[in-house]
Amino acid sequence: MTQPLSEETNSKGVDLKKTLSRIKRSVWVFHINTGSCNGCDIEILDVLTPYFDVERFGIKLVASPRHADLALLTGPITIKTFSKVYRALSAMPRPRFVLAIGSCAVGGNIWFESYSTIGGFPKALEMFSEMGLEIDGVIYVPGCPARPEAIIYGAATLLGLQKPKTVYRRFKA
Amino acid sequence: MNNAAADPALFSTETVREVVSKIIEFKERIFGIDQKNGVVKIRIHRDVLPYIAQRLAIMGDIYLRTMVASDERSLEGVYKLYYVFGVDREHTNIVLEVALPQEEPRVSTIVDINRASDWYELEAHDMFGIEFLDRKLYRFVLPGDWPEGVHPLRKEYSVPDLMKLYRPKAIEYAKEIGAESIVTIPIGPYHPALHEPEFFELYIRGEKIIDTRYVGFMVHRGIEKLGENMKYDQVPFLAERICGICGFVHSTSYCQAVENALDIYVPERASFIRSIILEIERIHSHLLWIGVALHLLGYDTGFMHSWRIREQIMLLAELLTGSRKTYGINVVGGVRRDIDSDKIKKAIDVLKHVEDEFRKLIEISVNVPQVIARLRGTGILPLGEAKALSLVGPTARGSGLNRDVRRDYPYAAYKYVSFRVPVYNEGDNLARTLVRVDEVFESINMLYQLFDKVPPGDVRAESWSVEAYRLGIGSVEAPRGEVIHVVVTGEYSPYRWRVRAPTYQNLPAVPIMLKDADLADVPLTIASIDPCFSCTDRAIVVNIGSGTIKAIPMEVLSLKGSKAIG
Repeated sequence: MTQPLSEETNSKGVDLKKTLSRIKRSVWVFHINTGSCNGCDIEILDVLTPYFDVERFGIKLVASPRHADLALLTGPITIKTFSKVYRALSAMPRPRFVLAIGSCAVGGNIWFESYSTIGGFPKALEMFSEMGLEIDGVIYVPGCPARPEAIIYGAATLLGLQKPKTVYRRFKA
Repeated sequence: MNNAAADPALFSTETVREVVSKIIEFKERIFGIDQKNGVVKIRIHRDVLPYIAQRLAIMGDIYLRTMVASDERSLEGVYKLYYVFGVDREHTNIVLEVALPQEEPRVSTIVDINRASDWYELEAHDMFGIEFLDRKLYRFVLPGDWPEGVHPLRKEYSVPDLMKLYRPKAIEYAKEIGAESIVTIPIGPYHPALHEPEFFELYIRGEKIIDTRYVGFMVHRGIEKLGENMKYDQVPFLAERICGICGFVHSTSYCQAVENALDIYVPERASFIRSIILEIERIHSHLLWIGVALHLLGYDTGFMHSWRIREQIMLLAELLTGSRKTYGINVVGGVRRDIDSDKIKKAIDVLKHVEDEFRKLIEISVNVPQVIARLRGTGILPLGEAKALSLVGPTARGSGLNRDVRRDYPYAAYKYVSFRVPVYNEGDNLARTLVRVDEVFESINMLYQLFDKVPPGDVRAESWSVEAYRLGIGSVEAPRGEVIHVVVTGEYSPYRWRVRAPTYQNLPAVPIMLKDADLADVPLTIASIDPCFSCTDRAIVVNIGSGTIKAIPMEVLSLKGSKAIG
């Protein structure tokens, strides 16, 4: 699933196409756990190790968000980690992309209505836009935990190698 | 106390008889003792708790497994504390049940008698507002901006209420921190497979650690409260999502607790399937840990190979359960999915292959001199400390404490197989590594036996009925140590469900291991207890000499030591 990348330029006038073409060479990723159960995290690690080996696509895990193009975000975002997610994402250079991995990040999963979680990345995204932090593109990878193949598919969608299966839309209940 | 119950001769095991004879002097303050399914429940007055805890503490082989606070005001007008002590060699749990009147929920602390009770008391204070006298109480589990006086596990709060009451100041807080970004790196490296969002403050002088402080509970997701609003058969799926690495132990443990409380018979075939999946999970978890440990040592070749081998186990899990992780096959009274002979044949082939490959990997990697040099003699944990802190799992077994739930409190199908419990006495990182290496081979061996012996029959109890307000205990040996769930049953859903994961018990040992350690050994030593958490983590180093504070990525710290501080 994907949230369409905003057309041509975003509000601040950054030329997305140009920046995306830069990003196509090699994507560096930074991994953020926001209170996930580790299930998705070990699948991410699985993707990086020999069996699935995404380094063949140039995707590399880096230790600092300042070096990253893409954040791999797992977990339902607990209240305690929210501020840290904000800091990590705002440290990323533009254009910044997020791959929200696993059912928790997609919509809160089983923690949807717990008192100590925000309940998924879409809700956090609203809070970020209130706070003035722009995210240039979000790809959602569902699954509990998301399968390694799905994570690779998500990354390929971001790079424009694959078409997204569905487009994320929120309905007010 | 009624005299018949006080007769020590009535109790099945020697230790329990001894306990009863020792506490008999408080009989005015003991309201009853009953015994059922390996659980001896002693109801005592709160005044005598420290004295009885003291008597248990000097008996040596008894350790605190968990402590559960429960809000039973609607039933008896009291809060209750259940202290669960374990007697390993006799497969028995001793439960001290302490009732605290709702007007003044106070009790004296036992932290000076039993150090393992420290976190339990803080948590009960946060979640229920129970006061422990003569000790320092501070905010522990709940977020810093949680409103004072709101204790989420009290029954008067429902989840929607709590969400209304607690309007997180997350946004302001996030901006605030952003403003003072003097701290070097915004968020440390998210180090996969190692840490839950958690965080150690290290106090150093030169290259040596002086003290360590743990700041954690970033992943508090309110699981226990959610579980109280779910039906019995829904909770296993929630329990499985406590941890993505060893989730199956949680759902098994929960199911066992309910089965223990309600005397539900689990068909033999179901218990075999549970054991099989549990062992597969252990192999995957240990391979994961060994890989990460080698990575922290800077031996990335070993890391990659270990994960390559592990992938076959993931595929095996998918073959048997339908998913790579969070298998979702446990229900109260059995399992949802059967295993056929075709799958068994395939599984045995995979295991043979994994065994060969793993043996080769270990022969090579444990003989690399750098690996041995980094592991031997670092992060030493003496046996005495391990006992005092009631440690569990490979952490305890690496320090010579012979404790394994699979053998000590047999559950599932472990009584039908023979296995060895590896114990090493050195107490250093090497010992803890070797315990895990040996356990992988033991698990593979156990799986051959289990696959060979799976009996025919049903995989699920046909029906069972609920009886409210009964206490059940279920424990499972997770890859990291003992997981114990305590359930007080309710009409439709658990009235109180308490989860205790092994890391909760083992983390207080980290400051002891780190004392006087070299800075470069810190990441490996923290990892050596296999803290079941994922990443969000960094170390803060406070240099006492120069008074500087700096956040350093774990990995960099591991490779460069004090040079990383610059």
